[in-house]
Amino acid sequence: MSAKSPDPVCIVRMSLMFRIQHILLMVTLLVLAVTGFALMYHENWLGRTLIQLEGGVLFRGFVHRAAAIFLLAQMVFHAYYMLFSGEGKRELREVMLRRQDFDDFLQAIRYNLGTVTDYPRFGKYGYKEKFQYWGATGGIFLISISGVFLWAETFSMRFLPKLFLDLTLIVHGYQGLLAFVILLFWHMYNEHLHPSVFPMNKSWLTGKVEAEWIRQEHPLEYEKLKQEGVL
Amino acid sequence: MKRMLTRLTPLVLAAALLAWPWAAGAAAPGVGECQDCHGDKTIEKSLPGGGTLSLFVDEKAYRGSVHGKGGCTTCHADAKAPHGKLEKVSCGKCHPDAEKSYSGSTHGKGHAKGIQDVAWCADCHGKHDIRKSKDPAARTFHLTIAGVCLKCHKDRAIEDKYHLPGQEVMEAYESSVHGMALKKSGLMGTAVCPDCHGNHAILPGDQPRSATHRQNLPTLCGKCHSGILEKYEKSVHGKGMRGGIADSPVCTDCHGEHRITKITDPTSSVYSKNIPKTCASARCHENAGIASKYAIPKKRFSTYMDSFHGIALEYGMTKAANCASCHGFHDILPAADPDSTVNKANIPKTCGKCHPNAGPNFAKGAIHVEVTPQKAMGVFAVRAFYTIFISSLVVLFVLHVGLELHGRRRRKRMEEGKKE
Repeated sequence: MSAKSPDPVCIVRMSLMFRIQHILLMVTLLVLAVTGFALMYHENWLGRTLIQLEGGVLFRGFVHRAAAIFLLAQMVFHAYYMLFSGEGKRELREVMLRRQDFDDFLQAIRYNLGTVTDYPRFGKYGYKEKFQYWGATGGIFLISISGVFLWAETFSMRFLPKLFLDLTLIVHGYQGLLAFVILLFWHMYNEHLHPSVFPMNKSWLTGKVEAEWIRQEHPLEYEKLKQEGVL
Repeated sequence: MKRMLTRLTPLVLAAALLAWPWAAGAAAPGVGECQDCHGDKTIEKSLPGGGTLSLFVDEKAYRGSVHGKGGCTTCHADAKAPHGKLEKVSCGKCHPDAEKSYSGSTHGKGHAKGIQDVAWCADCHGKHDIRKSKDPAARTFHLTIAGVCLKCHKDRAIEDKYHLPGQEVMEAYESSVHGMALKKSGLMGTAVCPDCHGNHAILPGDQPRSATHRQNLPTLCGKCHSGILEKYEKSVHGKGMRGGIADSPVCTDCHGEHRITKITDPTSSVYSKNIPKTCASARCHENAGIASKYAIPKKRFSTYMDSFHGIALEYGMTKAANCASCHGFHDILPAADPDSTVNKANIPKTCGKCHPNAGPNFAKGAIHVEVTPQKAMGVFAVRAFYTIFISSLVVLFVLHVGLELHGRRRRKRMEEGKKE
């Protein structure tokens, strides 16, 4: 890391559209986690406290389902935006998984272990960001499907054996825990505790990052921006 | 007043002398004659202990009593005018059956031992003013008798002295469904003390001959709740109880005794929210000993409380299914019985009470899910997978972070080296 210049050159990394989506997603996931864990840990103090704070088990359900609808709506919108808008298409291309990402991951491990001399050079999104994005997408997809089955229990009960619903319940709960763990450890580290961004990568609020940060952490993106004349 | 008696004595003696020829002819004194003295409200005698005892007999009350058409000497056979201390009245002379059952009762036995506090005929029925128990003015009238029993049985001193159930129990009766029906609604059909405990033959509940002994309870409650008794007799609990299995629950095990309340009362042990705890009480369905003794499935309570029904009920959604919603209550049958509401074949119908769409497919799989490889392999495996997956992910994250920090330090050092 270099010393900070008094007037750093900044570039947009998160457009307003993505910042709004990110904030909405964050709030929705928090609401879902708090109302979900209340039920998952109903037998101990955590669940009891949460359920009490949420105004009882009935209201907890209303809040959880309202947030779930909101999350589904965001998912649909996000899919639409990524597939059909100009910005979305560009971003999708950037975040798409490639063989290179796996190689980068292995190279990073090797480098960190000291067996190779070069650290991988990432584009706009490295393997860490892609893992976060696709992990969250897959997780939300699975948790949504299982949630719909549980919610529409009158429909599910007509066709499905109870065993299936038992499994769905387990998947739904643990998938939530998994998402929570990823956010707590992975996202927290990458966007808050990582030395290059500590205490926080502010781009989720301002949308901007320093060009120098891009040069250090995402050199391929830096070169691309240079070529395009943005920098 | 003593002085009055002494003043009266010569007069009475004179009258007696005058009446001698007739009196000698064995004519007993009539009510009117007795009333000459006992009609005086101030007539009394002093007791050895200090105090005084009124000797007044209210003729009007006596005439209105069930014995009012007779005479004083029917009971007080040794009464003459004048007379000293009379012999104790024996009701058994005319009421031999009552006396017989009384003498076998806990009151009768105490009385025979000379215990003064114990209830004797007059304590419940009264003395000169005894009326038939059907008469609303009688002490033993259905809506009055509880108060008569409670005169002694809500007396702390008596309770302590004879180790009787405490005041709380008696107060509980007063606020129970039976007590309220008595006090608030004046229902003749409500259960008052003697309806359960008996009257003359009353015995403590731990004695097999007592009406309130465990093995007699279903029949006892069934006197009024006969429709329920009929269902209970056919149930697994009823059959077990009649078959001599002491662990089988009788009415009071679920409903309570004196404090019995309506099922809609949140304090009732059979209020929907309290039912799981009542069924699972330490003695019954959460007791591993009972489960293995009668080969019934274990962990019914904990698996229920872990289900959505259990959580909903625990946090106050009383509409959620409790034990009785699926298993029934008085008519409860083992799942193996084809008539049981929880028999595999009947489960869609039972679930359908609340979930109209529950199909035959739904009945597949356990309702109480005990997460062990033997009982629920699928759920167990998925849960184990997630637990291992999430834990290893956490470990890997931490490793990755550690490695990366290590790598960055090295890179920084190398860059600094290059610059130099």
